[in-house]
Amino acid sequence: MYRVVIPGDFISDAVDRAGEGTYVEDGKVYAIRYGVVDEKEEIKVVPFVGKYIPTKGDVVIGKIIEISFPYWIVDIASPYEARLHMSEMPGENRIEFGNMHTYLDIGDLIVAKVINIDPMMRIDLRLMEDFQPGGAGRLIEIPHTKVPRIIGRKGSMIKMLKEKSKCFIFVAKNGRIWLKGSKEEMDIASEVILMIANEAHTSGLTDRVAHLLDSYSYSSNRMARK
Amino acid sequence: MKEEGVELIREGKRLDGRGFDELRPIKIEVGVLKRADGSCYFELGDNKVIAAVYGPREMHPRHAQDAKMAVLKYRYNMAPFSVEDRKRPGPDRRSVEISKISREALEPVILKEYYPKTEIDVYVEILQSDAGTRTAGINAASVALADAGIPMRDLVSSVAVGKIDGEVVLDLNAVEDNNGEADMPIAMIVRRNIITALQMDGRMTREEFEKGLKLAMNACRQIYELQRTALIERYSEL
Amino acid sequence: MGLEIMDDVKKDYVYNLVRGGKREDGRGFLDYREIKLERGLIKKSEGSARVKIGNTEVMVGVKLELGEPFPDTPDKGVIITNAELVPLASPEFEPGPPNEDSVQLARVVDRGIRGSEAIDLSKLCIEEGEKVWIVFIDIHVLDNDGNLVDAATLGAVASLLDAHIPNERYGLDGEDRLDVRDRPVAVTMVEIGGEILVDPNYNEENAAASGLTVITNDDGTISGMQKYRSGSLEEDKILEMVEIGIEKAGEIRREFLE
Repeated sequence: MYRVVIPGDFISDAVDRAGEGTYVEDGKVYAIRYGVVDEKEEIKVVPFVGKYIPTKGDVVIGKIIEISFPYWIVDIASPYEARLHMSEMPGENRIEFGNMHTYLDIGDLIVAKVINIDPMMRIDLRLMEDFQPGGAGRLIEIPHTKVPRIIGRKGSMIKMLKEKSKCFIFVAKNGRIWLKGSKEEMDIASEVILMIANEAHTSGLTDRVAHLLDSYSYSSNRMARK
Repeated sequence: MKEEGVELIREGKRLDGRGFDELRPIKIEVGVLKRADGSCYFELGDNKVIAAVYGPREMHPRHAQDAKMAVLKYRYNMAPFSVEDRKRPGPDRRSVEISKISREALEPVILKEYYPKTEIDVYVEILQSDAGTRTAGINAASVALADAGIPMRDLVSSVAVGKIDGEVVLDLNAVEDNNGEADMPIAMIVRRNIITALQMDGRMTREEFEKGLKLAMNACRQIYELQRTALIERYSEL
Repeated sequence: MGLEIMDDVKKDYVYNLVRGGKREDGRGFLDYREIKLERGLIKKSEGSARVKIGNTEVMVGVKLELGEPFPDTPDKGVIITNAELVPLASPEFEPGPPNEDSVQLARVVDRGIRGSEAIDLSKLCIEEGEKVWIVFIDIHVLDNDGNLVDAATLGAVASLLDAHIPNERYGLDGEDRLDVRDRPVAVTMVEIGGEILVDPNYNEENAAASGLTVITNDDGTISGMQKYRSGSLEEDKILEMVEIGIEKAGEIRREFLE
């Protein structure tokens, strides 16, 4: 059973276990967000929605929105823009002031890791070198708060999704998901991911996802036989 | 102020049948708008109010950013058809003042330091007005902020009290407000018993003020329960 | 909330869907999203309507006030249509005076109603050259998921059908019902990949190179049109759109304005 809380709700007396989405006052733990209580390890409130705020180490999918020497300015689906320094670009060639766009141009998508955030919320990225979307595949975006559900406990949900849709799926922390496969495979994956995102707070979700995925493979098998 | 011969209290009841300490019917719906990050529809008697929250989002212009925290903005706006005599579209002095005190009523609960350099926008549209729109707006905005996932210490609840025919009563409607002797909207953090907005116009004795404040604070407790229930039920039935 | 495709990828996504014979929400090309109409919600106005087309939501209120006629039409009442794209309705809308989008929205709705002569303006004259009724149609957009024009026009006409003349408030006698002689209905379409799509949602509006609103009346005559965006439309496409517009308007009129 999920316990829904609103900001200010009392959750627990176990102050030493207070985690994300909570605050402590007078020896008690209260909710700071509208969401669901998770007490498995720490006491946390997992919000239903909310903007993505990066933390160090997150892997995100970003879009180049501006070139401002020596940085590429990157939209990461957050209230904050991130930046990628020219020196992060691999290779021997020296990048000159005027030719940054020949490496990464406005509108290009990148997979990157957040390597630093300063108190002014300047966010530095590092390119994940051997792992870039290029032009191929499809990008979809869901609320970042649903990402843990897409992954599932110990990666169980994403594993099932990949196996049954036969689609390449990469889920970034900021809620952007990169798919690569045939059109049908990507359609199936998109639809199932949408369902998970919309029903993330309900129980029995894993079974319903499995059922939906099976119904696709059943119908495609039938079509193949005809 | 009062029209000749208007009788607002008859045999201990108000014109709409309410007792002195009775709220008008309240209806709350959460998450009513698709494009907004959070939203709430709030009815208080004949008041119909809708609030939307956008953000935190990048703040423009940049020089207005606060390096340490988010900037909260609040826009109270009346639809032209919301009142008997058509309201000219756009802001006027009244709505500017209401926007300011409403923002200040909500600011104490919002953890603005979570989002330096951003802005959080609260938009409140009054679709129909029947006295008490600013309080309905604050109630709706508070729920919409929670719905948007904004980190908050508490909700804020709001109501007005006033004086009609010499009696202190809760939650004036438009007829009572137009013919009454005093009006006093408040906003409150119920769990902490603290007031975050207070205005008064008209004339009251000190005793009447104290009585009115108690009445309003009790009503805020009722409103808080309704706000909370609306939020909890949105996800609980699933 | 839900599945959103990033802006630049979104256009391709919508386009590819259409090429494959599909729309984002699974509708047919000529289908409207579900339409909901509620009348008389705003008692403070003379007439009102809330229209939902899918997630798009518009509130319209009609108010009548006494005022002076225009000098060139001293014996006629006045219709003033105003639209507010309040920032509550979309992350793209900003507070401030009317911009070109809200002006266009108001003027297209106004044109359809004026052109149809649904309101007999000479009946709104009380004292020639001195006193006439001014009919304010105020459109308040609450949620913009595309096709505001059809929602606003339906809301405006439903509000007018619902409206009464507030004689009493001004100490006047006379007929209390506002006489509405016609029921203009707007049907908006876009062209994407050579296909005509009725009732575009927000993503489809943005993916389309061009669009057209056709406003038609009870007898199938046209009382207003507007082409949108910087793309072009071929003649036979326009003729097809007009035909679709007339047919769809008839369906909407029968279901919501009878």
